[in-house]
Amino acid sequence: MSGLRYLFTHTIKNRIKQLATHPGQLILYLVFAAILVLTLVGGALQTQEPGKTFGSLSEVTAMAYVLYLFVFVSICLRGLSSGASFYSMADVNLLFATPISPRTILFYGLFKQLGTSLLVGLFLLFQYGWLSNVYNLSLGGLGVILLGYAVTVFAAQLTSMVIYSFTSGSDGAQRVVRTVLYLMIAAVVAAVAYPLLADQSDLLGTAVSAINGPVPSLFPVAGWLGAMVSGAFSGQLLPCLGGLIATGVFIAALVILLLKSRADYYEDVLQATEVSFSAITAQKEGKMAEAMPRNIKVGKTGLKRGRGPSAFYYKHLLENRRSRVFLFDMTSLIFLTISVVFGFFLREEGLLPILIFSAYMQFFSTVTGRWARELSLPFVYLAPGSPFRKLVMICGETMLKTAAQGVLLFAIIGVIQQAAVWDIAACMIAYFTFGLLFIAGNFLVERLCGTLVNKVVVITLYFLVIIVLCLPGILLGVFAAMLLPAPVMLMTGVLLSAGWNLGVSALIAYLCRNILTYAELNNK
Amino acid sequence: MFQVNHVTKRYGKLAANQDITFSVGDGDIAVLIGPNGAGKSTIIKCIAGLLRFEGDIDICGYPNKTPQAKSLLGYIPEMPAVYDLLTVEEHMEFIGRAYSLSDWQSEAERLLDRFELTDKKGKLGKELSKGMQQKLSICCAILHRPRVVIFDEPMVGLDPHAIKELKNLFQEMKADGASLLISTHMLDSVEDYWDTAHIMMNGEIAATKHNHGDSAAVGESEESLEELFFRITEAPQASQKGGDVR
Repeated sequence: MSGLRYLFTHTIKNRIKQLATHPGQLILYLVFAAILVLTLVGGALQTQEPGKTFGSLSEVTAMAYVLYLFVFVSICLRGLSSGASFYSMADVNLLFATPISPRTILFYGLFKQLGTSLLVGLFLLFQYGWLSNVYNLSLGGLGVILLGYAVTVFAAQLTSMVIYSFTSGSDGAQRVVRTVLYLMIAAVVAAVAYPLLADQSDLLGTAVSAINGPVPSLFPVAGWLGAMVSGAFSGQLLPCLGGLIATGVFIAALVILLLKSRADYYEDVLQATEVSFSAITAQKEGKMAEAMPRNIKVGKTGLKRGRGPSAFYYKHLLENRRSRVFLFDMTSLIFLTISVVFGFFLREEGLLPILIFSAYMQFFSTVTGRWARELSLPFVYLAPGSPFRKLVMICGETMLKTAAQGVLLFAIIGVIQQAAVWDIAACMIAYFTFGLLFIAGNFLVERLCGTLVNKVVVITLYFLVIIVLCLPGILLGVFAAMLLPAPVMLMTGVLLSAGWNLGVSALIAYLCRNILTYAELNNK
Repeated sequence: MFQVNHVTKRYGKLAANQDITFSVGDGDIAVLIGPNGAGKSTIIKCIAGLLRFEGDIDICGYPNKTPQAKSLLGYIPEMPAVYDLLTVEEHMEFIGRAYSLSDWQSEAERLLDRFELTDKKGKLGKELSKGMQQKLSICCAILHRPRVVIFDEPMVGLDPHAIKELKNLFQEMKADGASLLISTHMLDSVEDYWDTAHIMMNGEIAATKHNHGDSAAVGESEESLEELFFRITEAPQASQKGGDVR
C-alpha cells in the first residue's frame, strides 16, 4: 500500500475506532444524526397537508445563488491575503518532505478537500424543515443545492490557492485580481438593482427574477452552479448540464494551470496551513482566535478611560477600534444580513419567525464575543476588584453590540414588514435579552464544568443549558399570547419571554459572580 | 554533503534571506545561530524544499526539490505537528511506506525505544504532549537514515533525557558521515559539538566561525562563539559583517 493510501485509510479507520473510546463524541454524532432524521421526516410530513399553497422555487434558487456567490467570493478574497490550503501542518512537516511527487500530493489534497466540502455543506440539510414547509422543496432538490454548495466551496478553495500562487508578492497583480473580482460583483449588483429601481411594484418578485437572470448566471462557479440548480428545479437540461460542465472545465483548467506552471506549490499553501494550524492549536488550548485585519493601524494610543474593572470595557473598545470593528464585527454583520434576507423572504409570516431565527444566529456571534476571549486570558482573574463588577464590565462591549444589533435589525425588518411600532420595540428588547441569556448560559457552563477539557462535551452541554434556560420563558410567552387578543398578542408574549430571560440572566450572573475568583474553574 | 549557493528569498519587497552561501560537508555539524527574525527558519524551509527561492541548493549533488534529494534529506521543523489520527507506530509505518523503505521496522523500534516512545506506540498523535510530538517528529525525520539532516530549534520542549539522546544522535550521525545543520537560539546547547557556526543577521550570514575541536583553538581569534555572537548581533548595523572567523 502506498504511503498516501495508508495515511488516508488509517486516518479514517482511527477516526471510527476513536468513537468506541470516546462515548461523548459518539453520543454527539448520534444526537446530530437523530436531529437530522427528525428534520427530514418532519419536513416531509409537513408537505403532506392538503390544499396548502407554496412559494415559488425560483426564490430558493435565488437564495442558493446568493449563498454560492457569498461563499465563492469570500474564499477567493482570502487568496489575496493568506491563500487557501488543503493540507494540515503534519502534511507540511512530514508529507512534503517525502520523495512522493508534489503532483500526487496535490491530488491527495484535492480529494481530501472534496470530502471536507461535502461535510461542511451538511448544515444545509437542517434547513429542510422550513424549505419544504414554505416551498415544498423535495429532499432531492435539497441534495442538488447541497451538491452545488460543496462544489462551490471546493472550487473556491482551489481558485483561492491559484490566486495566491500567482499574485502573492506582487501588489500590482493583487490589485488586478481584486479589481476584476469587484467589477464582476458590481455587474451582478447592477443587473439586480436596475430592474428593482425601474419597477418597484413587486420588489421580491423582481429581485428573484433578476437574480435568476442571465447576467448573474455568468459569474464564475457561483453563477454556473446557480444555473445548474435552477435548471434542475425547472427540468431544463441545458442550464443544468451547462452549469455543471462549465464548473468542471473551470476546476480542470485550474488544476492543469497549477500543475503546468506552479508544480512547486508547497510555498503557496504554507502560510494558509500555518494560519489554520495556529487557529486550531489556539482552539485546543482554549484560546479564541480573533479575526483581525492584516495591517492593523495603531492610531491613538492609550485607553484614556476606565479604572478598576471598567478598564476591561475600555480595553475592549480600543481593541475593537484596532480590529476596525465599529459596533459590529464581521460575524455579526453576516448574521444581520442573513437575518434581513430571511425577513425579506418571510415578510408575510410576521416578526416572530425573524426573532426566533435571529436569536438562533445571535447564539453564534455572542459566544465569540470579547468577554469569552477575556475568560481565556489570566488578567481578568488577577486584577483586583469585585468579581461581579468585573463580570459585568467584560460583558459591556457585547451587551452594547447586542442592543445595537437588535435595534438595527428590527428597525429594518419592521420597515420591510410594515409592523406595529410596539411589536418592533418588543422584538428589539427580546433580542437583547436573548443575548444576555446566551452570555449567562456560558457562565453557568463554565461554573459547572470549567475544568472539562473536552470542548465538544462543553459545547453540547451549553446548547442543552440554553434550551433549558429559555424554554420556560418561551412557553410563558406562548401561553400568554394564546389568552390575549391579536393586537397585543405578539408584544405581550415576546415581552414576557424577554422578562424571563432578563430575570434568569441576572440570577445566573449573581450566582456565578465568583467565577472570576477561582481561575482553576476554567482550567486556565 | 549539501550546498547552499547564493540563495535569496523575497516576500514581496522584503528579503528574508539575501545571497546566502554555505556548505556542510560529510560528517560535519554546522550550527545556524542568530536573533529572532534573522532569517534562520526561512533558509531552513528553503533547504527543506518548502519555499521557492533564487539560487541553488544541492543535497548530495541533487537539486533539493528532486525525489532523490528528498530521499536523502531529513527535516525536523520548529513546530512539531504530527497526524492527529495516526498512532505513534503508524507514523513510522507511514514514513516507511512514503519513503519506500524495505526494512524499517527494526530501526523504528530502536528509535522509539531510544526516545522513550515504545510505551506510547498505540497512542494517537493528538494524545501526545508537545515534547512527545517533537520526539516523534525526530524519529520520523531520521527513520530513512538521511545523509543530510536539518534541525530547526530541535531542543525546544524536550525533556533532559531526550536532549541527551539527541546530542548523542548528533555525534553518531556525524561519525556515520551525515551532514547536519542545526538552527538554534541556545548557544550553550550546541557548544560541545559544532564544526562550523554561521551567525545570521538581517537575512544574511554575518559571520562564520570554525571550530577546531579543542577548547584552546575554539577560534584563532580567541573569541568564544558566544562573544562573537554578541559582538555581531549587538554591534551597530554598519559593522555587522564579520566575515569568516577561524
